[in-house]
Amino acid sequence: MKWNSTKSLSSLSLLTLSGALLLSGCGQNNNGDSASNSGSSASASPSGSGSASASSDAGAQMDTTPITFSFFGADASPNWNNMQDDVGKAITAKTGVTINAEYDVASGGGQSKIALMAASGQYPDIIFAKGELGKLVDAGAIIDLTDLIDKYAPHIKAMMKDNMNRLKYSNDDQSIYAIPTNGGVNNQYFDATGGFEVQLRVLKELGYPQIKTVQDYENVLKEYVAKHPTTDGQPTIPLLLNGDGWKRMITITNPGFIATGAPDDGEYYVDPTTYKAELHYKRPEEKDYFKWLNHMYNEGLLDKDTFVEKDDQYQAKIASGRVLGLISQEWEYGNAENSLKSAGKNDETYGHFPVTLNDQYQDHELQSVGVDFSGISITTACKDPVRAIQFLDWLASDEGQVLVNWGVEGKQYNIVNGQRVIPADVQNAKVNDNSNFAKTTGVGLYTTFAPHYGDGVKDSTGNYYTTNFPDQIVASYSDAEKEALKGYNATTWKDLFPSEKDLPVKEWGALYNMQVPTDGDYAVIYQKTQEIVDKSIPKVILAKPEDFDKTYDQFISDLNKAGAEKMEATYTDLVKSRVKLFTGKDVQ
Amino acid sequence: MDSQPAFPSTGRVSATGASARKKNRFWSDILRQKYLYLMSLPFVIWLFIFNYVPIWGWTMAFQNYKPAKSFSEQKWVGFDQFKTLFHDDQFYRVLRNTLAMSGLSLVAGFIFPILFAVLLNEVKSMPFKRITQTISYLPHFVSWVVVAGIVTSMLSLDGVVNHLLTWLHISDEPIQFMAKPHWFWGIVTGSDIWKETGWNAIIYLAAITGIDKELYEAARVDGAGRFRQIWNITLPGIRSTIMVLFIMSIGHLLSIGYEKQMLLGNNLVSDYSQVLDLYALNYGIKIAHFSYGTAISMFNSVVSVILLFAANGLFKKFAKESIM
Repeated sequence: MKWNSTKSLSSLSLLTLSGALLLSGCGQNNNGDSASNSGSSASASPSGSGSASASSDAGAQMDTTPITFSFFGADASPNWNNMQDDVGKAITAKTGVTINAEYDVASGGGQSKIALMAASGQYPDIIFAKGELGKLVDAGAIIDLTDLIDKYAPHIKAMMKDNMNRLKYSNDDQSIYAIPTNGGVNNQYFDATGGFEVQLRVLKELGYPQIKTVQDYENVLKEYVAKHPTTDGQPTIPLLLNGDGWKRMITITNPGFIATGAPDDGEYYVDPTTYKAELHYKRPEEKDYFKWLNHMYNEGLLDKDTFVEKDDQYQAKIASGRVLGLISQEWEYGNAENSLKSAGKNDETYGHFPVTLNDQYQDHELQSVGVDFSGISITTACKDPVRAIQFLDWLASDEGQVLVNWGVEGKQYNIVNGQRVIPADVQNAKVNDNSNFAKTTGVGLYTTFAPHYGDGVKDSTGNYYTTNFPDQIVASYSDAEKEALKGYNATTWKDLFPSEKDLPVKEWGALYNMQVPTDGDYAVIYQKTQEIVDKSIPKVILAKPEDFDKTYDQFISDLNKAGAEKMEATYTDLVKSRVKLFTGKDVQ
Repeated sequence: MDSQPAFPSTGRVSATGASARKKNRFWSDILRQKYLYLMSLPFVIWLFIFNYVPIWGWTMAFQNYKPAKSFSEQKWVGFDQFKTLFHDDQFYRVLRNTLAMSGLSLVAGFIFPILFAVLLNEVKSMPFKRITQTISYLPHFVSWVVVAGIVTSMLSLDGVVNHLLTWLHISDEPIQFMAKPHWFWGIVTGSDIWKETGWNAIIYLAAITGIDKELYEAARVDGAGRFRQIWNITLPGIRSTIMVLFIMSIGHLLSIGYEKQMLLGNNLVSDYSQVLDLYALNYGIKIAHFSYGTAISMFNSVVSVILLFAANGLFKKFAKESIM
């Protein structure tokens, strides 16, 4: 026994010894790391100031030695091809930059991934953080771009000139942490891609009926499904919504305000005169909208699997061509629609209608929010922020924008009489085989990297920057789509929607882009209310008609019990300070 | 860690030596067994790095942790995170779901594999036995994503199960299984049984092969039938294996992961599908409240250790079996 105890004692002492060694090793490592970090940042700034003097003569003389930046994108980009596409190769040739990109998968939105980055302190060089930017800013991971833009980004500066205030993070922290890239500057809508969708074959068969209210919409679906109960041998689905994860916002809860004439402010509704924010579910007119959905379910028109199926099952149903109606945005079901196009089933793709609850309301989807989109940021991990901003600025130049939007001259477009023209075969591939087209050409894969002008803006040669202009949009329509539009005396779906010219630009931008505080109660209450919405909305829609009022009132009182009122008060303050920042108005 | 002496001679050193000699002996022991120590060293280091160093992170549970700040700049808040945790209704709901689902799978995870192993052992045809065993453990290698897809489509309105039920006239209308909150625990446990029974049976089959064949012969001579043999020889023979595995899985009661629940669940059944790990993810990492997440996982670990020791103690006392 004696022997044994000495034995375990000795092994114990060995263990602690190795532990101590290890700890000290860790400590040293940390020191080494921080030393090398400070070293790199120190070395970055002299080189920065050194080239600052050089850059004053021209932004064109940028360093093009090969460099690789790591990147994370919060939105999935399934066609990303490691820059081995035409556009990617051209970008590398011009700037020397290779992007080593990682994207979130499926409908991730970057939430968990970015939270982990913030916790571990391991960031990519460049990041498109979307709604999660706040976490990184709070973690001190994002560098202020104000000076970099001023010194090295003449193109970005010129593009954002009137909107510099809108780039600032908040009234209290006026740094620029992200350059907006998720939308086009001065964008004009030439097409509508939201609203309520109806399959083209339905429109044709019913002789292009008027579809303005939910009642019209319901009648159309009902009439068609009665005539054609099956499609390709499977039951026809009159209306399909996506109840999986955050997509319930796009297809189920956002249409609540869209159909009742309110603009998109995420989960909130903001009173345009008092700036008071409340969860949009609390508006009485939205209760009526959900009552209609409840009615659709009880009539058997809304697919019974709506709340149990996952996103891929939803997409598969659309791709099977048996879904008559959707309430969504084109980007949400685009992949499924593309596979319908590839299969040549153009009459089973969708048209867009500005459907509202009744004729008192006006669809506000085309209302301009001004420059306010999520954007691209440079992190503290980036060893050469100057090269990074120059890269982004090059993409924002006329040359860069044309490359990103149009592709390579002579391959994806030609110049005929001073006009950029897309050859017919390229256009065909782009429309009918979009994912392959994107993979090989890279057109459309790089727009999140740099700020760009929106549709309808012309460059110095008199050509549009983007490929979305009236002629091109009409050219991208299938024959079935053109025929349907003709039936409505329209050239694009937009002609059916209220024009943005009749709707004032929103003073507070798009609130779904506003970053909220990560500490304190706000985030917890928000998460709780979201979970209540997640589980109550299905209950509300699936309730028996006579139980609807009770269920809906319960839903609202659950929200308030979770602290919604306190959260709304915090949010109202944020909205007010944002209006102050954006417009310079004094808001009380 | 308790390595046996490599050389029998080291055990015979007398206990009467002076302290200097003792010290000498300590080092000479190490010297003589240097290869044993060297061989175990990587594992000690591994264990230390991956299992002990991270415990340092528990300090976060007592802070209001902010990622950008250094340790000394963090704000200490005592037990505030735990107070919030224990005052949250939802915490108790997810705890209930976690315990219910892991309890069910614990019970099912013992009954079915043991039953399967015992029955398979009674099969005399070797080829049949081998094939059955292989087929039965294959589902273990299928990922939960695929399993969830199979289960949801089988249980959907126009799925196989509903076709069968209406064909047999057991129900007139198709049943929407995945939309019934109360059935969720059952569906998860059922899928778990399908996926893991064959795999978990392997260890029992191995234990059964270790039972002395003469015992069966003796029993047969005494006139014991098959069921008697199973009851009096096979089951007692694998008793210690069962006990060890049982005690160990009690230690894992709270940490059942969340893949199954997340993949099989949906918004309609969330009251019954959300588990502790998912709660920690949603309220800890997702909204960047790292301290709160740490408090949850700390609670998880402490409860698991208590459960493990309690189970071990109880078994030691009543069944005379234990793992420590």
